[in-house]
Amino acid sequence: MKIEILGTGCSKCKKTKETIERVLKQSGVEAEVIKVEDIEKIMNYGVMVTPAVVIDGDVKLAGKVPDEKDIRKWIGQ
Amino acid sequence: MAEETKCSCGSANVAIFPCAGASNVGQLSNKIAVELEKQNFGNLMCTVGIGARAPGLMKSAEASDRIIAIDGCPVNCASKTLELAGFKADRHIIISELGIKKNKDKELKDNEISEALEKTLDILQSE
Repeated sequence: MKIEILGTGCSKCKKTKETIERVLKQSGVEAEVIKVEDIEKIMNYGVMVTPAVVIDGDVKLAGKVPDEKDIRKWIGQ
Repeated sequence: MAEETKCSCGSANVAIFPCAGASNVGQLSNKIAVELEKQNFGNLMCTVGIGARAPGLMKSAEASDRIIAIDGCPVNCASKTLELAGFKADRHIIISELGIKKNKDKELKDNEISEALEKTLDILQSE
């Protein structure tokens, strides 16, 4: 599983990454977590507000920090 | 090209969806949306992306605290596109109701841009 966190380094982007990594650790799910800061890559997903979360190419959320329940659902837990 | 994707930290998320239609007022809707973004009223977003149900656009719209739809004329393509996708515009501007008559001219006139922007700002600031 490939999890991309789209954002240019704001506090919500950092919190999104921390939350996802925490849930992955707690659930024991292995995933490649990538922080995407390139504005062109972010825009090519059609995302207009960050942070955003993309899992295996599918945009799951934009504009806010995901809650743990959502993340668990996305990773199949 | 640094501000195309706005961070949601800080101020409220306001999404601006113009119709960008094939008329003077349609093109004006897009110009006004660009000017509103420059003045930090919100983020210009792609209305056709909502029509296409592009996931990134849909999620961005869902994250918005408020939505402004700017239509050129009473056909209301922008606001209807939003409605069909499950979104309701909090404010709806119709350029042709601001005293600018619809025609097929795609070249924008400076006086019409100024007039439409001034009236749009009056509406948005009267909230």
